[in-house]
Order: sequence, then structure tokens, then C-alpha cells
Amino acid sequence: MLRAAAGLDAARRASALAFALVLALGAQACATAPRDAALAPGDPVRGAAVFAIAGGCGCHTPGDGPVGAGGAEIPTPFGTFYSTNLTSDREHGLGAWSDAEIERAIRRGERRDGSVESPVMPYYRYAGMADRDVRDLVAYLRGLPASPSANRPSEGELPLPRLAYRGWRLLFAGHASPPAEAPAAGVERGAYLARHVAICGDCHTPRNRFGASIGDQELAGVSGGGPLPYAPNVTPDRAAGIGDWDVADIENLLATGFTPEYDNVQGEMARVIDGLAGGPGYGSAPAADRAAIAAWMKTLPPMSRAVTKDGSGPAGATAPAVTEEKPA
Amino acid sequence: MTNENPSLARAIARRAARVVSAATLAAAALATATGARAQAAAQPAHVHALPTGPISDRNEIMEGIGRDAKAIGAAMKAGKPADAAKPASDIAAKIDPFLKLFPEGSSGQGSRAKAAVWSDRGKFDQVGADLKDKATAVAAAANSGGDVKAASTAMFQDCKSCHDQFREPDQGE
Repeated sequence: MLRAAAGLDAARRASALAFALVLALGAQACATAPRDAALAPGDPVRGAAVFAIAGGCGCHTPGDGPVGAGGAEIPTPFGTFYSTNLTSDREHGLGAWSDAEIERAIRRGERRDGSVESPVMPYYRYAGMADRDVRDLVAYLRGLPASPSANRPSEGELPLPRLAYRGWRLLFAGHASPPAEAPAAGVERGAYLARHVAICGDCHTPRNRFGASIGDQELAGVSGGGPLPYAPNVTPDRAAGIGDWDVADIENLLATGFTPEYDNVQGEMARVIDGLAGGPGYGSAPAADRAAIAAWMKTLPPMSRAVTKDGSGPAGATAPAVTEEKPA
Repeated sequence: MTNENPSLARAIARRAARVVSAATLAAAALATATGARAQAAAQPAHVHALPTGPISDRNEIMEGIGRDAKAIGAAMKAGKPADAAKPASDIAAKIDPFLKLFPEGSSGQGSRAKAAVWSDRGKFDQVGADLKDKATAVAAAANSGGDVKAASTAMFQDCKSCHDQFREPDQGE
């Protein structure tokens, strides 16, 4: 516990330092980013399917609903955040936002006033979402019944959060050039959905000390007992991951929440499968989309990183797992 | 503030961040390696440290039920529904001993059982009895060439329903 706390402290100090180094530079470089022309109107029916395979944008629905009303608590090492209201309410939700403003919030992490969102909102994953999909998703969000739930400010953020988030985006968000249309089928579609819509890696890919995903450990899992919640290694490694699951097993989990032992997942994974507060989730998404994600997952490089529920054992936040140690 | 060379600015920012992250990553890796060594001496990482007694015993039965359930799934996947008969009757046989392993006070200590097991004991025993019936029905369907898929789907729904009511989410789930 003590070591974890000290590590966290060091991480915060290092993060603050890194941010300080780039504050001015970041602010300047981002000011030159291009702006999109206005989006054509989307299709809310297609948008419902996008919303479903996005896990019902689960963070934005509180446990007792209504869908998209925001206010769910998201604890992170960088402060406690509360998800925002996505409903059509004009005062507290997105009712008064233009389509282009919502699109920029989703794919670029920009607020209406041009400032940058905290990376707790995984805009850097949605950055690769196809133009058509984001357009349709926006059209679907427009139809969420208005909830008057007011957005709640975050607590315990880093100093100078606005500049910090701008710096973070500059350093870690990458430069996505989203396609006009998503790949239509197969492993390519699975990769696209998993990375940019269902964002599996938001929970299942380990992060570095700055909260950015470690690129070469995709879906290699996160140990519990630390600042982030436990998420299993779901790469095809037979010992550490789910290498003994076949494509149908993965599809079945994404559809029903049942593992091959017919144990059902509970908690966060169950929420994004079942959908929250009666809304859609992976389970009600198009079966072909679940199949595409499952097929793609079987193509991932197996990672031997052993993650544990309580943080015991060899899996640190950043070090690759050591599966076997030969005596000297 | 100058606006002349944003790409240079970006390059400098990236370089600076790389140096800082390399230093923290190195420190983190060192701390992790040290911790891992200490841990390895204490106990293997994957062993579930459940206390001996009813918690451990019922956990073991449930793991056996998981193996049986997996065998039922495998039988259907292989197109041999008749093979589901034995694991299904094995599940049915495990329910009564399982339900006897929840004495008052056997909560906590790594157990995921919710307080409702004891505060709503009648219902807990009832869903257990339902599951036993459903498992028996799966075995019957498998032995008689009936609809094993429909019967097992109904049984698995009982599993889920009981877990959702009486079992806490796994740690961090």
C-alpha cells in the first residue's frame, strides 16, 4: 500500500513536471489544429448500433439511469471525475450544442469553449472513429430524453488542469486521421471497432505513469489493488490470457456475459454488455460486430503479462511479466 | 510566445516528455522488480488464499460446477448434445452439498457471498433448488434426444440470476 502511494505521488510530481515543460508549447501547437467543416446530418437508427457497440457510452449513465444523464463517479490517480450529461437537455446536456461541437468533443476532446477535456474521456481512442459513425452516433445522442441532471465538477485534479490536459493531448493523443467509412467486415472491422468504438483497451490495456496506454501491450490486462481497476489479460496467451477460448467463446461473452465455464461476468463488463438503465450495450449490438471483434482478438500477439486481482504477483503497471525465472 | 515554428515546438515537447517518462518508467520498473521478488518468496501469485472450511469447500464445488458447465457447452459446440447428460447430472448432484456450506458467519475472508445469502436464505435455497431442477432437465433432454440447447440456456440463466442476486462482483470487475 505504502509503495503504491509513494509511486502515485512520484507519478503525480513527474506528470506535473512533464506538463509544465510543455504548457506553453502545447497551447501554441494546438492552436494551429485544423477545423472540420460542418458534419452532414446522421442516421439515428444506425447511430443506435454505434452506441451499442460503444458499450452504451457506459460511463455516462448513472447506476439508476436515465441513459446518458452523467454524474457517475470515475476515480483516477489524477483526480475524481464525474461523467457528463449527454442527453438532449438544453441547459445541462448537449441540446444546445451543434453537431460539430459534439463531434469535436468525442474525437478531439474539445469542449465548446475550445479548451481540452481531461483524458478520462477517451477522445484519443474515439479519434479514429469513422466520420459516418460519429455522425450517426451524434444523431442518436440527440434523441436521448432530456435529463436535467447538472454536471458535477471534478475533484483533486492536477494543478492548472486546462493547460495540463492540453499538454497531455499534445504528448499522448497521437494524430488520428479517421476514415470516412468504417471497414465493412472481417478482422479489419473488428480492429476498428475494438480500438475506436468499443474501446476495449480503455480498461484492458495497461497504462504508463501518465495514464497513456502502453501501445505494445494491447489488451494485456491491468492488475487490481492499485490506482486502476482490475481488468484481465484478454490476449490469446494460453497461461496469462484467454488463449484457450475460441472465437465463439469470445462472441458468447460479448453477447451474454457468460465465460466458457458459464460463469457470468459481473461489474463493469456486465454493465457494458447488458447496457445501462435499459439502454443498449455490446449484447444488443449487431452480432456481426461482436464476431468481428472476437475474430480480431484472436489475431493479437499473446502477452504473457500475468495480472492479478489484488495487485500481488509480478505484474507491475509497466514492466512486462516475467513468467519463469531460471535459478542462477 | 512566438508562432513561427510549431513543429519544432512539438519536437522539443516530445523529447522533454520522453526523458521524463523514461526516468519514471525506470524507477517504476525497479520498484516493481523488487516487489515481485519479495512476493515470489511469500507465495505463488495465482493461489486464491481462501481460508480452509466452508468458504474454501464451496468454492471448490463451484469450480467443479464450472468445469461441468464448460463440458455442456463443449458438447453442444461439438454437435454431441448427448454428451451433456453426465456433466448436467453432476451439476444436479452438487447443489445440495453446495447449499449446506453456507453456515451463519461464513462471509468475508475472500468470499464473494453477499449478505443476502443469509438475510434472504429462503430465496437462496429456492434458486438453488431451481437450478437443480434445470440441471436435471438438461440431463433428461440429453438422454432422450430432446432440446439440450433450450434446456441448458434456461439452466445458465439460473446460474446468472443467482450470481447477480447473491454474489458480489469479482474484485475490480
